[in-house]
Amino acid sequence: MLQGKQEPRQITMNLERLPNEEKLSLCRKYYLGGFAFLPFLWLVNVVWFFREAFVKPAYTEQLQIKTYVKRSALGLLLWVAVLTTWITIFQHFRAEWGEVGDYLSFTIPLGIP
Amino acid sequence: MNVFLLVRDKGCNFPFRFSEYLKPHKFVAEIQIFSLYYVVLVKAKIYVHLNYTVPCVRLLNATHQIGCQSSLSGNVGVLHVLESEDNLDWVLKSGPNPPYLVILESPLFTRYSEHLKNGSRRVAGVVVVAPNANPLEAFSPHTTCPNENSGVYSEDYDPALAHCNVTVWNPFGNGLAYEEFDFPIFSLKDDNDTHVIRQCYMEHNRAVNGSTPQYPLCAMQLYSHMSAVTNTATCMRRNDIDFSISPEMVCDPLGDYNVWASTRPINNTAKGHKMWESVVIAAARLDSRSFFFDIAPGADSGVSGFVTLLAAAHALRNATQEAPPNRTILYAFFQGETFDYIGSSRMVYDMQNNQFAVDLDNVHSVLEIGQVGLHTESKLWLHSDPVSRKNSSVLFQVRKLIENLQSAAGGLNISMDEPSVSQPLPPSSFQRFLRARPIPGVVLEDHQSAFSNRFYESMYDNAEYLNISYPPNMTPEEQLEFVTDTAKALTEVATMVAKALYMQAGGSEPQLSSIKADAQIVTRLLYGFLVRSNNSWFQQLIPSDLMSHLGKLGYKPTNFYVGVTQQSSEPTLLVQHLLANLTGSTVNITQENCQNQREDENDKENKHMYYYMWVQGAAPPNSTQREGFCIRSTVRLSKALSPAFDMREYTSKDYSTWTESRWKSIKGRIFLVASHDLEMLTLGVGIAVLLTSLLLTYVISSKADMLFSSGREPTNATY
Repeated sequence: MLQGKQEPRQITMNLERLPNEEKLSLCRKYYLGGFAFLPFLWLVNVVWFFREAFVKPAYTEQLQIKTYVKRSALGLLLWVAVLTTWITIFQHFRAEWGEVGDYLSFTIPLGIP
Repeated sequence: MNVFLLVRDKGCNFPFRFSEYLKPHKFVAEIQIFSLYYVVLVKAKIYVHLNYTVPCVRLLNATHQIGCQSSLSGNVGVLHVLESEDNLDWVLKSGPNPPYLVILESPLFTRYSEHLKNGSRRVAGVVVVAPNANPLEAFSPHTTCPNENSGVYSEDYDPALAHCNVTVWNPFGNGLAYEEFDFPIFSLKDDNDTHVIRQCYMEHNRAVNGSTPQYPLCAMQLYSHMSAVTNTATCMRRNDIDFSISPEMVCDPLGDYNVWASTRPINNTAKGHKMWESVVIAAARLDSRSFFFDIAPGADSGVSGFVTLLAAAHALRNATQEAPPNRTILYAFFQGETFDYIGSSRMVYDMQNNQFAVDLDNVHSVLEIGQVGLHTESKLWLHSDPVSRKNSSVLFQVRKLIENLQSAAGGLNISMDEPSVSQPLPPSSFQRFLRARPIPGVVLEDHQSAFSNRFYESMYDNAEYLNISYPPNMTPEEQLEFVTDTAKALTEVATMVAKALYMQAGGSEPQLSSIKADAQIVTRLLYGFLVRSNNSWFQQLIPSDLMSHLGKLGYKPTNFYVGVTQQSSEPTLLVQHLLANLTGSTVNITQENCQNQREDENDKENKHMYYYMWVQGAAPPNSTQREGFCIRSTVRLSKALSPAFDMREYTSKDYSTWTESRWKSIKGRIFLVASHDLEMLTLGVGIAVLLTSLLLTYVISSKADMLFSSGREPTNATY
């Protein structure tokens, strides 16, 4: 089928183009979403809004954004700490735990205890 | 893993993967074909694959893992042909290019296995070259006390007899086959492959006058990665865990089928006790093992016994049909006996639980034919159990059985004797019956105390060891019919066993003289099991759909390793069909009725009593079309799977818990490796070229306006 050449859809994910109120609401959404056991949202939030929160010259919503970014970072750090600890413990003791270790595993490596 | 290999491998895989992402296009297809060709060519140039690889594999039981394995990507090592002890020092200490892949003759392996095992950080793997002739010194990779903990002689039964305290049955046993090695061990025949390997070693790796050999060196890679680990409980549990995306089985229980038949048909549909039935069990074991996975000739340890029993069953066919004795003789061929009596323990378990055609109350006595292939000066030994003999009625029955055996030997060239009164039974299936209850029984063996078999459960327990040899220049057909001295000797034993069984079953005296085993049958059986399975006689006696099994065995001796329960092994199928042909009778019915287990369309009864099999028969002289016929016999198969797996007791102390690990690929190849420095240099240059090209591309694209300004002008001109 012949079709006219389509223009690529404009992706408006550039924070620069958003008005400040929308930035705040977006940051807030990501922050709240993170509580649903989704630490990656917090990670995205921190990376994405870091400039807005700490580098950009001050504006009205910046204080709130700062709070959200800080809290997101804190939550993320907590997650990282917990996951790292658990993964270390699990990898170290999986073989020793025997039955329990096997039932906790999603894929069991072949040929090693 | 060496980089050289890695780089080459990547280079080969890349075109495949790359092309998957491209749309089919003629040009791409051409590239693909070209690169595929290139890959094949490069691979063929780099690697020499080994044709005949026999690995040692991992087995597991309730507490241990035994056997060998490689890493997932195969173990790579610089080849080293070990010829003497100072060479060993090179491998374990002084050699500059560890790890080494050691090639040695099998007697040396026996001697150095412990050193190699301990120095496993410098040993990538071992290739054992099997000699073409049997060694002079004894060799048995089995333990000194076979099936030590699964026989009847436990601490509870008689502490004095437990753990082979009285007799060490297999004094030459070094236990190699029950050890664990953390590197792969392969066996190679002394032929073309080993010649190539030796040549590669001589050309590249041999240190001349104490100098260190120069790169490139000849290396070998062995793959035998095993999926299961630790013990049976662990691997059976992992078999059951299936919430992963691709559930994967890691191990399977060892097991197969027992073959049994009776002189009088016994209803096999109605299980449990049979009123007025009294059976004399004549037993032999079918399986054997060696250190390596698919070599288990078991000539003396298995074949001599069951061939004798098959011949005896054949000798009894007419007598038991014309003048049936009072008792029924039940021939039983047990599978998996090497691994803690899998077959016999299962049959006893089934008898106890009314899952077998008869139960233990029906069993009158047991006569087991053990190793009988090596009776020097025609002397056989009648072993019985000293503990159950304390019971006077058992003692009386045992004495009677021994009397029957001795009177059966009258007129034959066999003498028989009993070992000392206090000596326990040798490892035998009968021990599992005694574990259940004191049943009178005798085990017939060619040894008084320790085995006379010096190659017990090894690859040398073969036709050569039993002195089965043929005059030179004989065709396979002539060899099949040639009656060897071994066959003559075993025929005598078979005749004696048949007569004794007939008397034991209460048969009439006048018939005795007509019972005679056929030397022709014995020699064919020995030829078929020990020299060449795929022979014209075996072909006649099996259904056509088993021809592929026979073809797989080819011109080699049969492998008697029991294997896993998933498939019936060739020995079981062969013995099943041979026993049917030797004890059954031909019935004149159609192939369809035969295969549907009935004599005519309305017959619904006979299938409970008989088993019908349509065998392909022989082709008449002037035709190529085989003329099949129907055999009616009482031959049945019964499960030889350890009850531990039905009860899911994977740490059972009463029943066998042996499992075999699964694996993905077992192969070996040799190739040349470059020095580590050269490998690193190659990698470094590769990375440098990549980075330079990236940089260049960046520079060119950023300065494109400048560089390609003249080229752009025509497009600009169209405005």
